[in-house]
Amino acid sequence: MTHPIVSRALSESRGKLREDEALTLLRAYGIPVPDFALVKNEEEAVKVAEAIGFPVVAKVVSPQIVHKTDVGGVIVGINDAQGVREACRRLREVVKRVPYAELEGVLIQKMVPKGVELIVGAVYDEIFGHVVAFGLGGIYTELYKDISMRVVPVDVEDVWEMVREVKAYRLLTGFRGMPPRDIPAVVDIVYKFSRLIEDNPEISEADLNPVIALEEGKGAYVVDARFILRINY
Amino acid sequence: MLSKLLDPESVAVVGASPKQGSVGYVILENLVTRFGKKVFPINPKYDEVELWGRVIKFYRSISEVPDPVDVVVIATPAPTVPKVLEEAGIKGVKAAVIVSSGFSEAGNTELENWVKAVAKQYGVRVLGPNCIGVYNAYSGFDTVFLPAERAGRPPPGPLALISQSGAVAAAIMDWAARRRLGLGFLVNYGNKADITETELLEGFAADDRVKVITIYIEGFKYPGEARQFLETAKKIAAKKPVVAYKAGRGGAAQRAVKSHTAAMAGSYEMYHGLFQQAGVIEASSVREMFDMAKALAMQPTPRGRRTLVLTDSGGMGIQAVDALEALGLEVPEIPESVAKELKRELLPFAAVANPVDVTGSTTDEHYKIVLDALLPTPLFDMALVVTLMQVPGLTKNLADYLIDAKKYGKPIVVVNFGGSELVQRFEEVLEGNGIPVYPTPDRAAKALWALYKYGEIRKRL
Repeated sequence: MTHPIVSRALSESRGKLREDEALTLLRAYGIPVPDFALVKNEEEAVKVAEAIGFPVVAKVVSPQIVHKTDVGGVIVGINDAQGVREACRRLREVVKRVPYAELEGVLIQKMVPKGVELIVGAVYDEIFGHVVAFGLGGIYTELYKDISMRVVPVDVEDVWEMVREVKAYRLLTGFRGMPPRDIPAVVDIVYKFSRLIEDNPEISEADLNPVIALEEGKGAYVVDARFILRINY
Repeated sequence: MLSKLLDPESVAVVGASPKQGSVGYVILENLVTRFGKKVFPINPKYDEVELWGRVIKFYRSISEVPDPVDVVVIATPAPTVPKVLEEAGIKGVKAAVIVSSGFSEAGNTELENWVKAVAKQYGVRVLGPNCIGVYNAYSGFDTVFLPAERAGRPPPGPLALISQSGAVAAAIMDWAARRRLGLGFLVNYGNKADITETELLEGFAADDRVKVITIYIEGFKYPGEARQFLETAKKIAAKKPVVAYKAGRGGAAQRAVKSHTAAMAGSYEMYHGLFQQAGVIEASSVREMFDMAKALAMQPTPRGRRTLVLTDSGGMGIQAVDALEALGLEVPEIPESVAKELKRELLPFAAVANPVDVTGSTTDEHYKIVLDALLPTPLFDMALVVTLMQVPGLTKNLADYLIDAKKYGKPIVVVNFGGSELVQRFEEVLEGNGIPVYPTPDRAAKALWALYKYGEIRKRL
């Protein structure tokens, strides 16, 4: 059953979900995302940040800005109210610099500690239908084509296999003094994400990037997500 | 229905010809000389012709054939095919093999769609067009238009091949024939206007003579096909091993696939994922596919991954360990107490670790002693045995000992290399008794891996 967030975007002929919608959709499927809220002004931003607890991240939300980091649209490590205000001002400047960009709001998000960065994705292929993908984040995935794929729907055992299959798996089990990561939490995210894709076939492409895997027992979080819809589904 | 296509009682050949060298001649020769059942040649140009020492009666059309026909083989020019298929439909024929080319593979999609429409209207199932069709070693039903002296015909046996490419299928057939590999069935489906690899998989799943199904695939063609394949293969793999080789992995190779088959291909990673989910064992070459299929047809699956390496050559033993470990199989050490006991019965300079190296001074009995001492114990799940027969102490009796060790119910594969008559005879006896033989340790290791992998698949599905 298509989720209301997806139906609403489609009824408004939007081919893409907003950041806050994407995170809410993930949360609806039980996929852990750090606490967040979309705010419209500085005062609201400060209130939300204090409620969530520092440190937080502020991200520009604008339909015209796809690669937020490239234009300076992500400000990390904000530790107090003053920092939140400053961040809001800087993000307004960022929007001014990008032609035709409109500011829809600022996403305030709890900052996730450092961990191993992963990518979980989905794509629609005419022959295969929906396929989920898993790989290590960053440039290495592309460089080594170190990615595993499975056809939706998957079962939990399929997901364990696809996670173990990538060469980067060793980074999750603990490598060169680095601590082992919460692999069951990663598997759980991929499995629930496959369910989300199965329920919402209008999604033509999606990435959860990055997914941050924390140390054993501490979970894994989706920090950023992008969903592309087929408007003429 | 597919059983009629793969194993018909009567066949009509439209485009049969007494002209040597033509497609219609080769197919007719195959069927008249080797297919033990009814054959009806159709060609209005001929009446009665003496061929292969007998008088062959030609019919003017399918409707003239007095008996029921299970399969019609069509080898006439492409534009005539819809009409011929319609006649077959009116006659009540249920399956057609369209050998003719000049359809979607040549850009003639409309003509292929016409064929599909006729097939649907009359309820005739179509294999092809643009295919070499079916080879059934059991009955001699053979639509392959390549003469037997060029493309050998393999003996009946437990393997079946489903191939997207006709030329690859023919080459495999010839290769299997020379090695006396029991490839009981072979099907090439060409443009896949109707019958798909998924249905053929079901057909072979239902045939008890087939023990292992092999698939050569370049790419699926129709939307949603991957999912159908997944669901079917999953059910079949739980009962019968399925081994697949997907050709066309990198960028340039995938372009080649598109131009060869007109198939719209997903990425290689998708095929790989699909095979994993379906419990299909993936091979990385045609040779590897048959190396694995042979073992799967002959041997049981192991309970675990612990492998005994028994060898008369230290070097071969090391290579075997390298190959096994690279595949994730284990080569555990033999506990000292067991090794001590065993050492007393072997040559003083034999190495009783794992590998167990009985050395070049070995005799047949030393192999027997080691196998009897170690294979029944819970220490090992399977064995890779290197038998370099060039050493003086080994005789053909060794084969009997190896065959006898099958009683322990654990997989055994043999590495044997050389050209002497003794070596060849030794191999024949082993393979004739269900022990697969490979020329190199890495190939034998991969065969054991396939057995292990299939055991895991069985547990999961």
